[in-house]
Amino acid sequence: MSTWGQLIAAARPHVIAALAARLRDLDMAEDAFADASAAALVAWPIEAPRDPAAWLWRASLRRALDAKRRAAVRDHAVYDAPESPPTPEEALMAADQPIPDERLRLIFVCCHPAIAPESRAALTLKVVCGLSTERLARAFFIAEPAMLQRITRAKRKIAAAGVPFEVPGREAWPERLEAVLSTLEVAYVQAYEDAALAGEAAGFADEVLRLSGLLAELAPHEPEVLGFAALVRLAEARRPARLDDAGAMVPPDRQDLTLWNGGLIRDGAALLARAANLGRSGPRQILAAIHATHCARAESGRTDWPAIAALYDILADLRPHAAIAVNRAVAIGEAFGADAGLTQLAKVQGMDGWLPFQVALAALSAKAGRLEPAAAAYEAALALNPAPAERLYLEARRRDLGGSSQPVRRGDG
Amino acid sequence: MKYMLLIYEPEDVYEGPEGQKALGEIVAKHMKLGEDLRAAAVAFGGAPLQGSATATTVRTGPDGAQTLHDGPFAETREHLGGYYEIEVENLDQAIQWARQVPVMPGGMIEVRPHAVYG
Repeated sequence: MSTWGQLIAAARPHVIAALAARLRDLDMAEDAFADASAAALVAWPIEAPRDPAAWLWRASLRRALDAKRRAAVRDHAVYDAPESPPTPEEALMAADQPIPDERLRLIFVCCHPAIAPESRAALTLKVVCGLSTERLARAFFIAEPAMLQRITRAKRKIAAAGVPFEVPGREAWPERLEAVLSTLEVAYVQAYEDAALAGEAAGFADEVLRLSGLLAELAPHEPEVLGFAALVRLAEARRPARLDDAGAMVPPDRQDLTLWNGGLIRDGAALLARAANLGRSGPRQILAAIHATHCARAESGRTDWPAIAALYDILADLRPHAAIAVNRAVAIGEAFGADAGLTQLAKVQGMDGWLPFQVALAALSAKAGRLEPAAAAYEAALALNPAPAERLYLEARRRDLGGSSQPVRRGDG
Repeated sequence: MKYMLLIYEPEDVYEGPEGQKALGEIVAKHMKLGEDLRAAAVAFGGAPLQGSATATTVRTGPDGAQTLHDGPFAETREHLGGYYEIEVENLDQAIQWARQVPVMPGGMIEVRPHAVYG
């Protein structure tokens, strides 16, 4: 049974996208696919389908068109309706044509700039990847009814405001691709942060891996699309090494190289090289290059911190966010000495209550031999309720410093 | 689909001699937009509105009783200053036209689809 379930899940993005493009209605597409999947679970064990995706596509479309016809009859009160002539869809189904690939179109719909940014990632993962509302709610740290409402509202807006089920014209791609990429990036940040911590979002790293690859296939001349696909691969390659045996987080420069996924690193590096050849840099390519530099330790045996610091210089110009500034200070500290790093970190204002800031301050202070500020920063970090894997790591670093103070223990709440 | 393009602008930008000059330029741009809409065969209508100081609001209370108020219903810096109504294929096309509606800095265009019943 689980094999049938997997076949259905694998066919889902393709079939849902084709249905949504044809019906121009996300709910109707999802409902029809759910009906067809239920029918498949009954029919397939008796007679295995030749092409599961094609089977589901035909069955879903037939169900959706029946539902539409019933609704039309009901709304317009047509009595004794004559047999309607075959629609183009029926002709298409009879002709056993391949399923049109409309996945890009569906991604553009779900990531339309007219949809609230906080809804886009959830809607995309729901509609395109088929993740449940319950799972999305846990991953995005909101209650399930709130997540359901967010998704429902976004779908209603798409239908009511007339968001077109079209791939936008080339002239609109820069803005529209930006919305798509930032959506996938939000989804991936959730997955990446959770990955070391084995939380709820860890699972959809695979989905973002797949979607980013798909986007790179469909938009092969957009350097930021290739850069994002590279970024996801280079980051995912190191996932198996991100926790030690005790479940504590391991930073990239201390990870066990033998656990890295060489295939993903090669794929990521190849995508990044293709992006670079297009000659238009961007923040996702720079981020990917930072990951690639970490991965290059597999070849060279050492981490090229000056190169990483230089990449962060560029990134900090492109994205003047505190998070980038903190990471840049850490890289500068590794490359040019802890004092240089602390000088940069001191320029980051108003982030005292932010976990990565305290972690950076602690690490740089410890490296500079300033043990008391380091201990204070580790304790401040531990008081900011880090996830379990990071807590284990920070407690170990705090113990390395020695001193009288005990690591702060806090409940899980 | 039919869309309303509602124009919201701070009203004080058109005050004084500088403001009058700016108003003249904006009006010329509206005329140009009308020509562009006609050239693109987009069915449209619309009107500029007089300032919010000319507004009168009829308010219906919880008990159904109606009262009159001097002024617009909401006290905001930006006021509804005019609107277009256009008929286009979809939201993307409506947004394309909304981008071309001339406004002073700080101005906003709200794009709202007509409701369709039945």
